[in-house]
Amino acid sequence: MPTEEASAAATPTPDVSRSPLRWTLLGAFAILLALLVVSGVTAVHVLREMHRQAQSIRAASAEREQANSNICVSVQIYDQTITRYAASPRAEPDQDVIDGLSELSAQVSGAWNRYPEERPFLETLRDLVAEQRALYAARQPALVIKQEPVLHARVLECAKQVSLWSGRGAQQDDLALLAQFGELQSGLSRALLIAFGSGLVLAAASMVYIVRLERQTRGRYYELARSRHELQLLSSRLVDAQETERRSISRELHDEVGQSLGALLVDLGRLPAIAPDAKEQIDRMKSVAERTFQSVRNISLLLRPSMLDDLGLAAALEWQGREVSRNSEIEVDVQTGNLSENLPDEYKICIYRFVQEALHNAVRHSAARTATVTAEQSPDRIVVQVKDDGRGFDPRRTRGLGLLGMEERVKRLGGTFTVHSAPQQGATVIAELPWPPKTLESDRDRPRERV
Amino acid sequence: MKKVRVLLADDHNLIRAGLRRVVESQPDFIVAGEAEDGRQAVAMAESLKPDVVVMDIGMPLLNGIEAARQIRAAHSDTQIVMLSMHSDEGYVLRALKAGAKAYLLKDSAEADLARAIHAAAEGKSFFSPAVGKVLLEDYMRKLQRTGKEDSYELLTPREREILQLVAEGKSSKEAANLLDLSVYTVETHRARVMQKLNLHSIPELILYAVRKGIIA
Repeated sequence: MPTEEASAAATPTPDVSRSPLRWTLLGAFAILLALLVVSGVTAVHVLREMHRQAQSIRAASAEREQANSNICVSVQIYDQTITRYAASPRAEPDQDVIDGLSELSAQVSGAWNRYPEERPFLETLRDLVAEQRALYAARQPALVIKQEPVLHARVLECAKQVSLWSGRGAQQDDLALLAQFGELQSGLSRALLIAFGSGLVLAAASMVYIVRLERQTRGRYYELARSRHELQLLSSRLVDAQETERRSISRELHDEVGQSLGALLVDLGRLPAIAPDAKEQIDRMKSVAERTFQSVRNISLLLRPSMLDDLGLAAALEWQGREVSRNSEIEVDVQTGNLSENLPDEYKICIYRFVQEALHNAVRHSAARTATVTAEQSPDRIVVQVKDDGRGFDPRRTRGLGLLGMEERVKRLGGTFTVHSAPQQGATVIAELPWPPKTLESDRDRPRERV
Repeated sequence: MKKVRVLLADDHNLIRAGLRRVVESQPDFIVAGEAEDGRQAVAMAESLKPDVVVMDIGMPLLNGIEAARQIRAAHSDTQIVMLSMHSDEGYVLRALKAGAKAYLLKDSAEADLARAIHAAAEGKSFFSPAVGKVLLEDYMRKLQRTGKEDSYELLTPREREILQLVAEGKSSKEAANLLDLSVYTVETHRARVMQKLNLHSIPELILYAVRKGIIA
């Protein structure tokens, strides 16, 4: 439709890419997302690190416990060896004792290297073992045996202390882990807080942007609606103006030219009686005047059918049908049924022009043999239908100015206009007008002009 | 002999002047008055009680057909000669329904006006020859195109006689006297004629008669 094309062309497409706020918002959203991703990844990383630390601490303390208990076990074994050695007093050196001492010494020196913080206790142990070794080397079994319980007691004491110390160490490690966790927590909270805050700002900015867009869209929509309305108004005014213009020209022709010619004819008719010699000339003049009179009358009728004013709509439609029948190959049947004679002028003109245009179309294009015009009035509407038995057309493809003009007239009165046709199927055009008449939109906007 | 008093009703001075000249050229006519619109015509018909009103159809304030109806309703003695630019049967039929006796086309008014006024004054019908011609052409074309039969062929000679007399404006009693029949028989014939021709009123019957050239 031309209406839509015109309004679309009049409204420039808004250039969204030029809006700076749009890009700012996009950037801010990206930053916010990056922030969330970074803090999430960091948190996961820190947690994994802590988990690893906790595991290594646990492993270290288990290992220490193991070393500790190994020392204890070795002392126990040495204890038993010594006891056995003491029970069978012999001067020769016992391999078991030597082995036990070596084992003990090896374990202590192993622990010495690995647990430097327990050196004070290990040192005591090492000294005791060394002393035993020395006593044993000096072949003083009695002394070895005598010293053994001291060693035993010291070892147990040491073991207890080591275990105590290791427990304290583990506790310290736990505390460190806890502190690290706390740090992570506060870091995460901070990141979340920042994300929340910036998200809030972003949401507000987006709202502002959306509201602005909405306002713009609404503004444009109203603008479009208004321009459509104005266009409609304009076209209906055009129809009115055309009708008014036609009527005044028709009246002018009928009243001035037509009546003058009529008077001329009346006088010409009397002339031969006065001047019988000039009869031939007078007759020629008369026939010219008659032809002129006819064509003036026809033009005048085409512009504004005076039947509408003289006889009403039904008679005017019947006349129109007979006129078409006389001047074309189509025989038109007009059935006006119960059509009221007191229709408003807009209705009369609309229906008359609708039928006129429809018959005109049928004559020009349809090659029909008959056409039927029906106008029926019911309590809530008036239905006018013009049907022919011609060659038809495809209404989706053919939409001439004639049909558009008919549609315009019908829509102006709030009615609906439909075309039913298909090739070789004849054509039917239907106008349904609301009844009683709606107040015309265009009439509210302008002073009523009476002609 | 009593002169026929004529009231001229037309909204155009030139036409009225022309009509007046034609009427005044006849020795037995006299112009009783001139009206410029339908309302004035009704008022003057009321006060002057003319024998014949020559009335233009297209007049301001009240058109000729409505004015004719009102005058005929108030004074059935006053006859109407309708003047029109149109030979269409819509006009003729409505003029007849409004009570007009004669129907003249404006472009032949000068030639036929005197005859029309005479006929109307005597209560007879008169139509411009061109009107009958147009009506007949419309009728024949329609018959030809729709392939229908001319219903006039269905009428018996007696019925045709009755048709003509009724169309000429004769009452049933007058027709009965002329044909030496009873009024009842005439009315029965008339009803049968109207049924056969699918006519619903005397004006339609007159129109039919004009169309067929039975009366002029």
